[in-house]
Amino acid sequence: MKFYGYPRLDGKVGARNYVALIPSVGCVNALVSHIEHMVRGTVAIRHDQGCLHPTADTEQVTRTLINLGKNPNVAAALVISLGCEMVVGEQVYEGIKESGKPVDMVRVHELGGMFETINKGAKIAANMVFETSGIQREEFGLDKLVFGTKCGSSDTTSGLSSNLVTGEVCRLMTENGGYFIQGEICDIMGGEYALKKLSVNEEEGEKIVDAVRDLYERGLAVGADVRGSQMTAGNVAGGLTTLVEKALGANAKGDNVPIQGFLNYAEIPSGPPGRYIMAFPGHGFENLTGSAAGGAIVHLFTTGRGAPNGNPIMPAIKICGNAKTNVSMQDHIDVDVASVINETETVAEAGQRFYEYAVSVANGKLTRAEILNFDSGMEILIKGPVM
Amino acid sequence: MAKYAKLIDEKDNVATAVADCGTGDELTIKFKGNETRYTCNQDMPFGHKIAIVDIKKGEKIVKYGESIGNASKDIKKGDWVHTHNVKDDYKVLDKQGNPLPGQED
Repeated sequence: MKFYGYPRLDGKVGARNYVALIPSVGCVNALVSHIEHMVRGTVAIRHDQGCLHPTADTEQVTRTLINLGKNPNVAAALVISLGCEMVVGEQVYEGIKESGKPVDMVRVHELGGMFETINKGAKIAANMVFETSGIQREEFGLDKLVFGTKCGSSDTTSGLSSNLVTGEVCRLMTENGGYFIQGEICDIMGGEYALKKLSVNEEEGEKIVDAVRDLYERGLAVGADVRGSQMTAGNVAGGLTTLVEKALGANAKGDNVPIQGFLNYAEIPSGPPGRYIMAFPGHGFENLTGSAAGGAIVHLFTTGRGAPNGNPIMPAIKICGNAKTNVSMQDHIDVDVASVINETETVAEAGQRFYEYAVSVANGKLTRAEILNFDSGMEILIKGPVM
Repeated sequence: MAKYAKLIDEKDNVATAVADCGTGDELTIKFKGNETRYTCNQDMPFGHKIAIVDIKKGEKIVKYGESIGNASKDIKKGDWVHTHNVKDDYKVLDKQGNPLPGQED
């Protein structure tokens, strides 16, 4: 098994080769969409943030946009700024530039409206595609792989098949020197102490517990005990007895692989290779964005009932252990592991198969979500009030 | 057709049925090359848990190799294990180990 990816100047390796159009604020989304439609090879990273945040969220949105631009699946980036927003376009531009890839910026207020900005921006984007589309895939070691993971539209089969199979991939790929990013603080709730035990040091492990406390306290601030919204009547009817049981089933996406560290939302791991826990939520849009900003080039997305969404710059593979869903939602499911439920394949065997499949996606095979254009939506996590 | 239950970790004292089961049905567990059989003491739907050993009141229910709660009454091998005989005592704790406010039992 070999990984063939796009080499980047910072030593990282991409699974895709996009020119990213990055709005510094949601106000210019329409304009960004026009350029995306005009110029093949571009991909718009539309979001609705960038303004009227508390400072901490402005910093979080800025970090997210920079790190999305730095994602190895991005060959070049064009930042599109309005001109009055809180996220400073230059900061995003300079941040992405650190990676050595081509970056440029256009500003709507300076250029005088949509048509002038498109005129300049589309030309820049077209030239970026012209220059970067010839980059060839090269052979690299499996240590260059960075995978993210989440579970969505889960059911009873998730904790018994797809999550366990993904956990096996985590074990295999980190043994080979790769990075694996897991999170979903809402799903960790109940299993935080199990993850702390797996952490290589106490301090990083305590940060995982702190993230759960933070989520609980933010819920309490709006009058909710979020433990209850995590454990639903449907979960109980499906056979889940306690919140801890549910959390352990979600945690299983990383098996018992040691945890190297805790990452803030959209933070790129700087420590040794291995498994990391990021403070991303369960909600798919913000979740996949956090994973992509963390540098994941492929996302392993487990599902039970069939979650269709992907991400604009990071292919998301849907893996499902529910035999009925694998038929009814076949438009959206990439990998079928109902075999683990009906005992015709072991978790270890399915894990090896899924690992090989994920590498094939890293090598260029398209996911269902990509083929269906079911991957244009995304959002950036903010934590404070919208002003 | 054989009905199966999945055992996830060797430390577990429950397994999860992956078929709807009636009282007296036999469930097969395949684990690390061995097959063991258990008889259901009660009806149990797909996705629910069966005790694979006797579990005394107050003892831990173990799945994924970790405690998921405590037995609220004595559980016999073959019993259906769910909210009627397991206590969920999870609370979000502060750094001193005390429950944060706002959590009812």
